Amino acid sequence: MIVGGCDVGSATGKAVVMKDGAILSYSIIPSTTKPEVTARTAMDQAIEKAGLSSIDDLDYIVGTGYGRLKVPFANENISEITCHARGAQWLCPSVRTVVDIGGQDCKVTSISDKGKVLEFVMNDRCAAGTGRFFEAMARVLDCGLEGLSSLSLNANHPASISSQCSVFAESEVVTLINEGVELPDIAAGLHNSVASRLSSMIGRVGLVPDVALTGGCAKNEGLVKALEDKLKLKVVRLAEDPQIVGAIGAALLAREKAPVPS
Amino acid sequence: METKLKSQVLQQFQEATRSLVNPELQKWKDQGGRVLGCYCSYIPEEVITAAGCVPFRMRGTGSTSTELADACVSLINCSFIRHSLDLGLRGEYSFLDGCAWVNSCDHVRRIYDHWKRKIDTPFVHLLSLPKKVTEPQVEWYREEISLFKDRLGFHLGVFISDERLWKAIRLHNETRQLQRQLYELRKRKDPPITGAETLAVMVAGTAMPRQEYNELLRELLDDLSRAEGHTDYRARIMLIGGILDDPRYIDVIEDQGGLVVTDSLCFGSRTMWRDVDENASDPVTALARYYIADRPSCPRMFGDHLRRSAFVKDMIRDFNVDGVIAERLVMCDNWTGEQFMLGEDLKETGFPYIRLDREYLLTGVGQLRTRVQAFLEMMGR
Repeated sequence: MIVGGCDVGSATGKAVVMKDGAILSYSIIPSTTKPEVTARTAMDQAIEKAGLSSIDDLDYIVGTGYGRLKVPFANENISEITCHARGAQWLCPSVRTVVDIGGQDCKVTSISDKGKVLEFVMNDRCAAGTGRFFEAMARVLDCGLEGLSSLSLNANHPASISSQCSVFAESEVVTLINEGVELPDIAAGLHNSVASRLSSMIGRVGLVPDVALTGGCAKNEGLVKALEDKLKLKVVRLAEDPQIVGAIGAALLAREKAPVPS
Repeated sequence: METKLKSQVLQQFQEATRSLVNPELQKWKDQGGRVLGCYCSYIPEEVITAAGCVPFRMRGTGSTSTELADACVSLINCSFIRHSLDLGLRGEYSFLDGCAWVNSCDHVRRIYDHWKRKIDTPFVHLLSLPKKVTEPQVEWYREEISLFKDRLGFHLGVFISDERLWKAIRLHNETRQLQRQLYELRKRKDPPITGAETLAVMVAGTAMPRQEYNELLRELLDDLSRAEGHTDYRARIMLIGGILDDPRYIDVIEDQGGLVVTDSLCFGSRTMWRDVDENASDPVTALARYYIADRPSCPRMFGDHLRRSAFVKDMIRDFNVDGVIAERLVMCDNWTGEQFMLGEDLKETGFPYIRLDREYLLTGVGQLRTRVQAFLEMMGR
């Protein structure tokens, strides 16, 4: 059975095509202003990469993410919380806590050994600790998103950044730059401040190892390291791109939900 | 959720939640009737009815911004306070002939101070509401209600006799009995009315002349007896929280398939689950006992958490509830503690429970939808 998962997020659209429980292909594209178009483009790319001819080759598709109601070709939609939990657990069965850091929100979900969601908390009221935050800070530091991560890994004395509000953090960063603080130390300071925010969210649902990071920001090794320091444990490195975990979960759920062929 | 109910009365109630002054209230005003605002469900409305006025529960309906109120209060005050005060400062509450407060919380308490100084309302009164729910506090509130009765009567030139009070108590009890009949229908496997529709019915009751409301409510119950029931839901939800007066909030929950079948809300079951004792010897004592000790309490009451928790658990059983959603206005300290403690109680039994933050005006529908959908999925629905 061939199934698809389509995760339309605030910053990127992701699509995964799976056949009989294995990933055939995936795609990641920047989100457009039309979620329908983002979904279609991401899905078409994944279908092409999988060597399939059209969307009709898929037996069942699940949509997820902020734009999940706007995936016209999806058979049903499932919240990103359930999808990330499912995806992370499939990639690493020992995961009990999933930290999803997306473009405009972050979520912490605790899951049972069967992959069932037990509890979740979300921050979607402000940009702190999201992809938007890192984009804004990378702009101030003029280093690009990748640069932010590599800079911070070379820090000697991480700066202390107390503000977790994106706007005020930006003013703090500008102050630090003008005081001549080394850029790697500022970058590391930013990651520490986000890590402490995440760790308090994790504290709300209860820290149960293993912990996995999903979402686009999980590719930021500087952030992963900062969180590991804060939690005093190793964060699981997933076998697939963490950005597509939600889409993988959607595809896995599509396989479960698809009507059994008669 | 699609309505199953073709009822003109229901539409009339729904219409009444969308503005402050509904046609029934306007008619009352046009006939020279008086209206008194109540800033909390702890105001003894029966006294206001006995004085010949219509008690009107204060809302922020129709407000779009809070810049006038923000000049008075701070951002650590809840958005209900800011929106309702803002309407007052804009003159939208000029139809009131008076307004009464209790010190429900520090936020509401401060609104009284601002209102008294800045908004021209002929009569304002603050009742001191005790913090506990035992006999000495019943006595305390009896004195407060008595003072309120005398002051209001003096202001209006009306003698509020015991006979008038008993008559008002019977009228308000009748409302409560009718509303409980409505809730009784929601226990069915196929409730004929949604949670959003029910909230509209409850809110309308706080904004209309009481006699007319009771008659309309009887008509609605008659309509409901012939209505088809809802069966296309994923889960039966109990909604818990404070000042929620916007049915559209519940619409978001129900659009995800979570049919709200019962509640513990300021505009919900807490105001009508029990009756005022009509056989007591003195009406003022009967009112004090009802508001302080008898009916399900608000979390602002100390030392009564166990009883509140038991009330929720009884509701869960009686209404066959699958999951509890607890909402609170951001900055509401009373509900913050309650949400946590209730969550601990329910977690012990493994019962599905989720806490949600809300602003008074319905914003962030997408985020609300995600949380509710994930909650239903978590329940395996």
